[in-house]
Amino acid sequence: MATETIKLILGIGETLTGRLLLFNSLNMHFKEVRIRPYSKCALCGDSPTIHELIDYEAFCNVALPAGGNAAGQEEKSFEVTGSELKQILDADRPFTLLDVREPHEWEINRIEPARLTPLSKFESYISELDPDDEIYLYCYKGKRSMTALKKLQDRGFKNLRSLAGGIDRWALDVDPSMPRY
Amino acid sequence: MTDNGKNNLSPEEISRYARHLTLSEVGVSGQVKLKQARVLLIGAGGLGSPVGLYLAAAGVGHLGIVDFDDVDASNLQRQIAHRTEDVGRPKVESMRDTLKGINPLIEVHTHPLRLDTSNALELFSKYDIIVDGSDNFATRYLVCDAAFFARKPLVYGSIFRFEGQISVFDSVAGGPCYRCLYQSPPPASLVPS
Repeated sequence: MATETIKLILGIGETLTGRLLLFNSLNMHFKEVRIRPYSKCALCGDSPTIHELIDYEAFCNVALPAGGNAAGQEEKSFEVTGSELKQILDADRPFTLLDVREPHEWEINRIEPARLTPLSKFESYISELDPDDEIYLYCYKGKRSMTALKKLQDRGFKNLRSLAGGIDRWALDVDPSMPRY
Repeated sequence: MTDNGKNNLSPEEISRYARHLTLSEVGVSGQVKLKQARVLLIGAGGLGSPVGLYLAAAGVGHLGIVDFDDVDASNLQRQIAHRTEDVGRPKVESMRDTLKGINPLIEVHTHPLRLDTSNALELFSKYDIIVDGSDNFATRYLVCDAAFFARKPLVYGSIFRFEGQISVFDSVAGGPCYRCLYQSPPPASLVPS
């Protein structure tokens, strides 16, 4: 990006205008794709529909699945806050706590006495769970645990809660001694 | 000297930029262009840091930095314009100090704000080239549109995990824009948080 900027300033060489350079540093593959002005582009096409700056937050939420906001409200009702979960962990009653993050995240931090059931292999753990149990799920920020919760709902589980804000908010609000990542 | 040195190089600049001056593609006239150039960096993070360091070292005379965030410990592993003692400081200030430390001959302008529709066009109008090192789609589309309306070339880069992409969007030169490439943002459910 720095050399492209300098070439633009100096007017030398051939910039990446009209080309997209893609790279993968894990296998060090580089790929170049030619990109042309799109005649139907909403901004710079032949009949543009964008003539001034728009509401970008709204634009980027447009792609939410239909009814996304309503679904969001429903999701809230299946959330548990950190302080509520802390009370449950401290109380003397049975429950199951599932960590649906991946093993490399589990190595960094975890909420005891959680069991690691990564979302990537979640289906394989469902048969080991009891639909009558009170089950709490958490992940890093609260998104994956909600996905796992829905998978359990689809299988008839009823007593489910997902930790709002995930282990990251737990570390901020409930257990400041916990390392964050 | 009636131009306050804007159109030539001082002895100090000549020795600092000697390896540029001996490149025929750059030379004294090119180095003066760099000195006069005004580049705006969107974001003082993982992309903005190295770009800023190189442009400052190369002698780009006016560097603007837009960022509303403070330095967090988890930034330090890749956002190399910030140091351990900068944790908690505004990123624009931390990065300004680093850039001025590398090259005190350039000007660094800090814009500690969240780029939005109310400030983007006015800010872009003060610069020659926009460099997008932002980390979210709403800002990328805003930067694309504002650069188009302000008629400024846009150097675009983005990274996720081990993969990156880079291009230059320069509608004035007849090139495509970011929207030609990506007509609409990805579904929110696919956007990494």
